[in-house]
Amino acid sequence: MKKVATPDYTVADKLKTHVAALSTAAKEVVLPLNITTHYPRERKRQPECFRGFMLFDPERCISCFQCSFVCPANAIWMKEAPSGRYYPTVDHGKCIYCHFCVDTCPGGALKTTKIHDIAFRTMDEMVAMTEDMVEPPAIIREDKVVVDYVIDKEDLTLKRTKEVDELIVEIEPSEGVPMVSVCVDRGSCIACKVCTKVCESGAVSSLKDEEKLIVKMEIDSEKCTGCGLCVKECSMQILRLVRRE
Amino acid sequence: MIDITGLVSTILNNQVNIPLLYVIYEFLLKIPVIGSIVTFLLSIIPLFDVPIIRLLIGFVLWKPMWVLLIIPGFATLGTMLLILPWLERKLVGRMQWRVGPREIAPRTRGSIQLLADSLRFLCQEVIIHKDAHRLYFLQFPFLYFLPVLLPLLFINAGAIDHPLVPIETPYALQIMVGLISLMPVFIMGVGWSSNNRFAFIGTVREAFMYFAYEIPFIIVILAMIVLYGTSNTAEVITVANQGSWLHWGIVLNPLAALTFFIATVMATARLPFEIPEADQELAFGPFIEYSGIAFGLAYVMAYEKMYVLSAIMTMLFLGGGSGPVIPYLGELSYGIWFVIKTLIILLVMVNLRGVYPRYRLDQGLRIGWGAMLILALIALVWSIVIGVVL
Repeated sequence: MKKVATPDYTVADKLKTHVAALSTAAKEVVLPLNITTHYPRERKRQPECFRGFMLFDPERCISCFQCSFVCPANAIWMKEAPSGRYYPTVDHGKCIYCHFCVDTCPGGALKTTKIHDIAFRTMDEMVAMTEDMVEPPAIIREDKVVVDYVIDKEDLTLKRTKEVDELIVEIEPSEGVPMVSVCVDRGSCIACKVCTKVCESGAVSSLKDEEKLIVKMEIDSEKCTGCGLCVKECSMQILRLVRRE
Repeated sequence: MIDITGLVSTILNNQVNIPLLYVIYEFLLKIPVIGSIVTFLLSIIPLFDVPIIRLLIGFVLWKPMWVLLIIPGFATLGTMLLILPWLERKLVGRMQWRVGPREIAPRTRGSIQLLADSLRFLCQEVIIHKDAHRLYFLQFPFLYFLPVLLPLLFINAGAIDHPLVPIETPYALQIMVGLISLMPVFIMGVGWSSNNRFAFIGTVREAFMYFAYEIPFIIVILAMIVLYGTSNTAEVITVANQGSWLHWGIVLNPLAALTFFIATVMATARLPFEIPEADQELAFGPFIEYSGIAFGLAYVMAYEKMYVLSAIMTMLFLGGGSGPVIPYLGELSYGIWFVIKTLIILLVMVNLRGVYPRYRLDQGLRIGWGAMLILALIALVWSIVIGVVL
């Protein structure tokens, strides 16, 4: 059995340790190796792809519900606007800032920013409504210095530049692949009209044939935005999203 | 019947000589409006053949009063109490890669933090809990100024041929040691009157540490008395500055200086000997029950003691106020050098906080009764040898 004991220090060893500790302290007083960013007055330069507060462009939204479907934290709910269309709202109490919604948005309606310091007074305020996400939130900027961390061989040093970092990233929104919904098996259609109800752009219309006593469904490819909601909802699963010609 | 005219002439004949004041006076006379005000002030009510304003200024510039009020007395002590905790927090912050106080007056790096704190202390309620001994509880932090300010009467802030000491006596060092030994009694009184278990533990620890450092402390003072051959502070400075800095106590007897420094750190309960206060487990020990302005006074008690002991260390080991003469300042320059040296010692002492953890009580006692006592005895023998050889 091994017994743990305190190491034997001689007086010389102890003196050496004391001197080393004191000289280190003196060195730090003169030239501290401090690498702290003094946050409200300085800001670290974030990369362009920083996952911060999300901005929303209603012009580009096709109400496809993709962001809502993909959200792993269930933070995005689609709310109906007065125009009858559905737009996403983000609950920042739940959001984990994975930005799957930004990646998955086919029209590029959601956009990331470098804003990471947002505060809410109540839990209700944390649900950012669509109109809150169109314009960037009001921020009181105290920072006048931008800090870059520079890795110099082995040491990490700070580089301070006197400028104000732009928090809104100017990135071209992705065009996406234009898609259109088509029916692949007309014979199986049971004319339940779910696709008509679900379509927000009014691209699906039903046509009643009086002679044969059947209802014919029609998809107007000009109006179709390719959101794929009808494809998801079709009970016979005969609708497909295909690339627009 | 008191001889007032004689007293006035005594005051006016024993003035601190600062040429800069004459320069300022002549400059003031040249400014149109202020000049005439100064002439008017100098013309009113000649009391004992001297204008009353001259008498007032002369009273402050009277050497004993100057030493007691300005340097190294009340004004310097007050300034130290205001800037020292700020400097401590700033420098320890730098050591530990932090920033220290900053938010109040950010342009001056938070230098008025202490003023803001004291304002807050003033506005807070002073709570005296019902088990405390009300009279002593409130009295002791104020009474503590007595043993702190009285040793300043014997401290010589001057240089060779220019002693700046209010009371010149052959027993100055002994009286100072006696007064300093009184300080822990006040702290124990504070702890006793608080009537709180943590305060009791802190008080007992303070008593233990008191015995641990006091004996080496006295022996070191004895060593210095033997080394200088006198305990009159005016003569100590004269002896210490004979061969410029080569006769300073720290050069002649570095062991004594080291022991004195460690004893000072122990006496003021700074880290690594912060045993009586022990923030983490005793929550400021004897001072736990204080709040409001009483806490403010209790908080600066350690700093007051530190200032007095550093001033004694400057006088005994660093040659007092000797240094290159600054033109136009006359005898004020000695005071400035004295304050600078004291401040350096204080800063070193204060910044031990950023380096060391705290010793246990038994370790502290072992250091006091073991290593320090041995060091002090060696220093005494060394002093005797040097005294005989020189």
